Amino acid sequence: MKPKEFDLIIIGAGGAGLAAAMYGARLGLKTLCLGSSHGTELPLGGVITTTNVVENYPGFIRLTGTELADKIREHAESYELVTLKEEKVTDVKKDKNIFNVITENSTYEGKTIIFATGTKWRKLDVPGSKEFENKGIAYCALCDAPLFKNKIVAVIGGADSSAKDALVLAEHAKKVFIIYRGDKIRPEPINYERIMAHKKIEVINNTNVIEVKGKQFVEKVILDKVYKGSKELELQGVFVAIGHIIISDLAKKIGVKTNEKGEIILDHKTSETNLPGVFAAGDVTDKPFKQLITGVADGCTAAFSAYEYVSKNKK
Amino acid sequence: MVDKVIVYSTSSCPWCHRAHDFFKKNKINFTDINIGENQKAAKEMVKKSGQKGVPVIDINGEIMVGFDEQAIKKALKIK
Repeated sequence: MKPKEFDLIIIGAGGAGLAAAMYGARLGLKTLCLGSSHGTELPLGGVITTTNVVENYPGFIRLTGTELADKIREHAESYELVTLKEEKVTDVKKDKNIFNVITENSTYEGKTIIFATGTKWRKLDVPGSKEFENKGIAYCALCDAPLFKNKIVAVIGGADSSAKDALVLAEHAKKVFIIYRGDKIRPEPINYERIMAHKKIEVINNTNVIEVKGKQFVEKVILDKVYKGSKELELQGVFVAIGHIIISDLAKKIGVKTNEKGEIILDHKTSETNLPGVFAAGDVTDKPFKQLITGVADGCTAAFSAYEYVSKNKK
Repeated sequence: MVDKVIVYSTSSCPWCHRAHDFFKKNKINFTDINIGENQKAAKEMVKKSGQKGVPVIDINGEIMVGFDEQAIKKALKIK
């Protein structure tokens, strides 16, 4: 096999992609895993690297997301058959039974392909949200929380990630609001209890932020409902945790079927897509419960299916 | 001329770790300033970059927000 030819090419080097790489190598597949961390994209290791504390991955009672991502990456890279490259994939083309994966630096050929492209943060879209990005509006609480020491901040969103962000921020800020459009925030029960017991954190339900205002930096948000006598809430930081956008454009381009959310539709027994030789794993898929552990499981299943596909087509 | 590289970071920021790893791998000396432990440096970083996100990388006075490997290579004139 030539240097740029692989049995398996994985697009995405988060937990799911790296687990697929590790398993691909164990099954004897010459495997290339491509990730990218340019600009504001997630670093190698994926979205788990932006989680402060991971307590739901078997074998590790408590560690940081970066520590866990580093361990998964080291494990994948310990196999000689795995090549991990930090290159952004710009295009994928199908030529008979071969996939040409084009990056900003090179072109690679793969007999099979796994999309583990994950998601990106959904941006806040209200007046002031672009103007004040990084000027008080932030998307990574874990990164930027120390810049808001003794300040008043808000987290927008009501899912588990919002609760985790609020808990991280409360270590630094003097007051943390959670502003949620629904009736009741919906983190994991253990984090809900932590939020409710925390003296610095206050939840504002049934409310939307409709504008962000300030001069050089954020000074206040405008709410769509009166809160304690006013629709204006003075604060210095707004952390946005309103969900994610699926990154499935390249998969769609070659004919992979997705649902209305853009999630890749999988056969969950095999991690196969509708196209022969094309598999998917992790947050980009239509799996309802998206956790690192479920993404890693998808990655292993996809690698095994890729192995079966390569073996069958050898004959 | 020896390049003067400063990384303003926080201990739990994954992009900051990527920046540290990049400079170590390329054997480039850099000064890391953890703004979580140094409020004076945090203010300095905000003043230099006009914004409040980490990492901020100062390469010979050129200020970069975020970790962008290609932009760093260009500033350091390395491949």
